[in-house]
Amino acid sequence: MTPHIGDSYAERNARERAQALLDPGTFREVLGPFARLRSPYLAAQGVAAQSDDGVVVARGTLGGERACVLATDGRFLGGAIGEIGGAKIAASLELARRDAERGTPTRVVLAFDSGGIRLQEANLGLLAIAEICDAVVALRAHQPVVAVIAGRVGVYGGMSIVTALCNEVIVTEGARIGLNGPDVVETEAGADEFDASNRPLVWKATGGRRRFAQGHATALVADDMPDIRAAVEEAFARNRSFVAIAHPDFPDPALEREAFLRAYGVTP
Amino acid sequence: MNEERSRGRAWFERFASGGVRVEGLPASVLAADAPLEGLPVRWIAVVPAPQARFPRARAGEMGIDEAFGVAAAVRGAPAGSAIVALVDVPGQAFGIREEAIGLQRALAASADAYVRARRSGHPVAALIVGKAISGAFLAHGMQAGWIGALDDPGIDVHVMSESAVARVTRMQRDDLARIASEVPATARDIASFARLGAIDALFEVADPQAPAEEEYAVVARALSAALRDGSGVRPPIDRLGRAAAIQTRALARRVRADLAAGWDG
Repeated sequence: MTPHIGDSYAERNARERAQALLDPGTFREVLGPFARLRSPYLAAQGVAAQSDDGVVVARGTLGGERACVLATDGRFLGGAIGEIGGAKIAASLELARRDAERGTPTRVVLAFDSGGIRLQEANLGLLAIAEICDAVVALRAHQPVVAVIAGRVGVYGGMSIVTALCNEVIVTEGARIGLNGPDVVETEAGADEFDASNRPLVWKATGGRRRFAQGHATALVADDMPDIRAAVEEAFARNRSFVAIAHPDFPDPALEREAFLRAYGVTP
Repeated sequence: MNEERSRGRAWFERFASGGVRVEGLPASVLAADAPLEGLPVRWIAVVPAPQARFPRARAGEMGIDEAFGVAAAVRGAPAGSAIVALVDVPGQAFGIREEAIGLQRALAASADAYVRARRSGHPVAALIVGKAISGAFLAHGMQAGWIGALDDPGIDVHVMSESAVARVTRMQRDDLARIASEVPATARDIASFARLGAIDALFEVADPQAPAEEEYAVVARALSAALRDGSGVRPPIDRLGRAAAIQTRALARRVRADLAAGWDG
């Protein structure tokens, strides 16, 4: 668990992460920045667009096998999904399924770092996430779908649902997985419910270590490129079927908030 | 909101009151098997339940118990049965208990159940009778092959509640309304959602909580037809091909075509 300074995954941008996950020298981007697919909805709302819409579709090989890494850029609007980025992910998953049906499978790694659906494109993002959920389940019938959640944002909203549909979820201690971000819970329910400024609590309740202990993540690794790459290769080698998500055990929800958390092993 | 008068409960009772209730579900999840014009159908609705175990999931939200309850109801649908999601969900539950347990897993469980049911041949339809917000809608309704909705101002389709959008964006309602008129994807009304090609049928109903006999008959006939004609097993990606989506989702369509062209280099 000792991080090797200088080879952090989290410090790389989305494109560099995809490059580092693929076998050296095999990275090829499809619909990259020069395709100039910019969201027209952002400009209309006074927000600067980005010419890859914050999603990198990277082809190449992984462990010598055909592969595709789908990486979201957490530095661009929190990695949130709009029409273009959502379509890139959904279409790639569909193509990977077509490849599997043709007997030329393409490994898929979801390198997500995303706050969820982009508010400025709202229902277009919602429609895309529904397509992505369906496509992950359909692809899973052929091969494992592997998620790497190791960025600064983590995954929230619709993207946390997609992550939960994957066969394998690789996390670091710095990663967070939740449905509602702590700030959103605080906004909706008040700071008495969830104080978003209490960073230790956020990580104790929703961080990578916690999610691994709960069985929501299948591997907990250091923020170190070789470790993450090894975990991805192991995940494909295990070739594990999807384990149906079961209703978990938890303390009595009627317990007062702090008592509930303590009983659940989250020291507030 | 009065528990007895939630729209989800009203429509559930209209369609399924004579059916066989599915036992073992939380009070907030209604499920029953009741035929529609002779076709076996499992009807599922999420309703407010003041006695629900989780304090943040008592007003009809999709919480831990609701989402796992819906998943169980879907997984348990009898062979040969169609499934109809009656959608009136104001959103997911916002609470620290939910986040610590992992609400995303619960919503994934029900989304997964709907996808697998549809992909294994159960026709799945959704009827939006009230709110259809965000993660709750993703988990209960959006995986249907066919989606109908009431053409009613009380319908609200969005990724966040209206009050939360106002807080998060720090914009006034007037500004949000202006943006919604310029960018229909950010609008909340059902007509705007239909313009994205996501709605297969709209129904006019004078009182959404108590449809008149002839109004109900129109909805029932359309649902029955959709569950029999193959519409219920279509994957969500098919919505991109609907006439209404040609213009409004032109970018997504272009991405799909260009990506396929460049996939193998």
